[in-house]
Amino acid sequence: MCFNSFFFLFFFMLINFFFFVYFIMNGLSVFFEWEIISFNSMSIVMSILLDWMSLLFMMFVSLISSVVIFYSKSYMNSELNLNRLIILVLMFVFSMVLLIISPNLISILLGWDGLGLISYCLVIYYQNLKSYNAGMLTALSNRIGDVMILMVICWIMNYGSWNYIFYFDFMKNDYVMFIISFMIIIAAMTKSAQIPFSSWLPAAMAAPTPVSALVHSSTLVTAGVYLLIRFNYLLIDMFFFKVLLFLSILTMFMSGISANYEFDLKKIIALSTLSQLGLMMSILSLGFPDIAFFHLLTHAMFKALLFMCAGVIIHMMNDIQDIRYMGGLSLYIPLTSLCLNISNLSLCGIPFLSGFYSKDLILEMVSFNSFNLMVFILFYLSTGLTVFYTFRLIMYVMISDFNLMMIYNLYDEDYIMLNSMFVLLFMSLLSGSFLSWFIFFYPYMIYLPFNLKLMVIYVSILGSILGFMVSNMGIYSLNKLLLSYNLSSFLCLMWFMPNLSTYGLSYIYLNFSQILFKNIDMGWSEIYSGKGIFNILKNYSVFYNIYQMNNFKIYLFSFILWFMILFIFFFI
Amino acid sequence: MSFAPELRSHSQKVCNFYKRAMRTLEAYHVARYVIRYHQVILRNELDKNKAVCDPKEHRRLLRVAENELFMSQHPIPVAKFARSVGIAGGVAYDRVQVIPDWVMDYWHPLEKAHYPEYFKRRECRKCEYIKKWNDGEIR
Repeated sequence: MCFNSFFFLFFFMLINFFFFVYFIMNGLSVFFEWEIISFNSMSIVMSILLDWMSLLFMMFVSLISSVVIFYSKSYMNSELNLNRLIILVLMFVFSMVLLIISPNLISILLGWDGLGLISYCLVIYYQNLKSYNAGMLTALSNRIGDVMILMVICWIMNYGSWNYIFYFDFMKNDYVMFIISFMIIIAAMTKSAQIPFSSWLPAAMAAPTPVSALVHSSTLVTAGVYLLIRFNYLLIDMFFFKVLLFLSILTMFMSGISANYEFDLKKIIALSTLSQLGLMMSILSLGFPDIAFFHLLTHAMFKALLFMCAGVIIHMMNDIQDIRYMGGLSLYIPLTSLCLNISNLSLCGIPFLSGFYSKDLILEMVSFNSFNLMVFILFYLSTGLTVFYTFRLIMYVMISDFNLMMIYNLYDEDYIMLNSMFVLLFMSLLSGSFLSWFIFFYPYMIYLPFNLKLMVIYVSILGSILGFMVSNMGIYSLNKLLLSYNLSSFLCLMWFMPNLSTYGLSYIYLNFSQILFKNIDMGWSEIYSGKGIFNILKNYSVFYNIYQMNNFKIYLFSFILWFMILFIFFFI
Repeated sequence: MSFAPELRSHSQKVCNFYKRAMRTLEAYHVARYVIRYHQVILRNELDKNKAVCDPKEHRRLLRVAENELFMSQHPIPVAKFARSVGIAGGVAYDRVQVIPDWVMDYWHPLEKAHYPEYFKRRECRKCEYIKKWNDGEIR
């Protein structure tokens, strides 16, 4: 089943690629519409939009999912129920494709809900307590977004159909569109794990690694960004976009700091994904949807590759994910460390890898346009933090001394996993330049002072030096201050926001519901229905039994009594 | 035992505390020589109070030490074996769920009728097993 799915998705990717090239060269856009019913002023249609953006995104999604399925043939080799995983992944890809090609809110809802549900099934795949908790967190956070989309569907019925793309130019300043834009932004924030909905993404690392590579790096979490890119014309002048800018920049900064204090390999990569999602949302809210889309695609490539390399390392280390037990692995797994290093350097924005094209463009646009000083500082600080945790990760995993037990079990000669990683490696190297030539027909003209242009290099060098220093702590290190319990627990636990949004929000209500349950459900409503009525009926039947099961004399006596009552009633 | 501390002796409590303190040091430091350096210092601190005989002093020292360990615990404890539970255990605990065999006994007869040979053989095996248990061949 793995190979069949791989071939199908790879072939689908090739079709999408050819159509994408044809469409973008000729400026084509195809819109299929089937009218289901039309009454009064309401028309219900099923539509599919195929333009260069949807074809390109479908191509990337199908490439990553085909490679991940091929990878999971070897990674999940010992799994008895591998077919279940493959079917779930295929359903996930189907939901994603439905989301991508829909200009219609109902089919977006189908894809959106499908993504949320299937990601829940994938997170709880391993069925231990940690996975169950993580799955519940994921599903409930995504559910908030689903409710928002449902409410948008209700509100947009005011306009007569659910095809939102028809209404952008005409209804922009309408009150209804104001409400719709607010809800769409909330929905996108839940899916893309912005503050305050960011607790589910690190927790969802309880899923198997191929699932994390597909779902939590490139497809599910980018669905929110994609929705906002589609709705961009509507949202561009709204106040909520400024709120989104603020929240996404804070997300970027917060996750960058948390990744520096984290020691679980997959959680570091998850927080890195969160940081890049904040970057995408912030550049989108600054008014550059095409750059956000560009970064979405390049990020998908190198992040999926990074997760797959992490999977090889975890396999090798006997399922241990703690980087404190890894070290010096580049000597033993050269090809995997090659892929890991290239994806990490691409993440940092090292020149002429794929991440450089999108990240550098984003930072130059931020510097070139006159935005807030805080925006500017936090953007560059987060870029520096990205390089910081990347170099820290490379130092801990690749360069330091090996810290576990034996080294004879370190090998990466599994060619199924390696071949799938090489496909993504090829794309990580080339997709940046390839996409910049295709997407941007006219390059952005940017004029910057010399030092501002090199600011990225300065923060990258500073980040790399700090990353080197903080991972090389000896006996007499100076940076022990950063290890104090209060500071490190605050910063590594994402500023306690997951605690606030889970335990903090639900504690009062759960307490109150327990009081209600004890007093009403198990108290008064048992007396006045349920057990109470049962007791009454039972006691009455016991009472009546005295008359029925007794001797004949009492039965005759009641007979005579009844005659006396009738005589008195009728004749007196 | 955490639920009945009065049933553990003082030396057991000290050993438990020592192990947790060592694990905390392993969580804070990564290089092996740095870990050993701090662990040797910790051992020295405990050895300074080795000759104390007063039980009240024992309890006071343990209380102070537990408090210090609590205030300096690592937010991300280290776990050496991914499939174990407890302080040595990690992310892969309880991943593979093994469904017990007695669940098959609860199948509906109509469901069992789909696999008659299997369930017939299963009944024979069960009888054989009970016979072997009664004869003492299986412990």
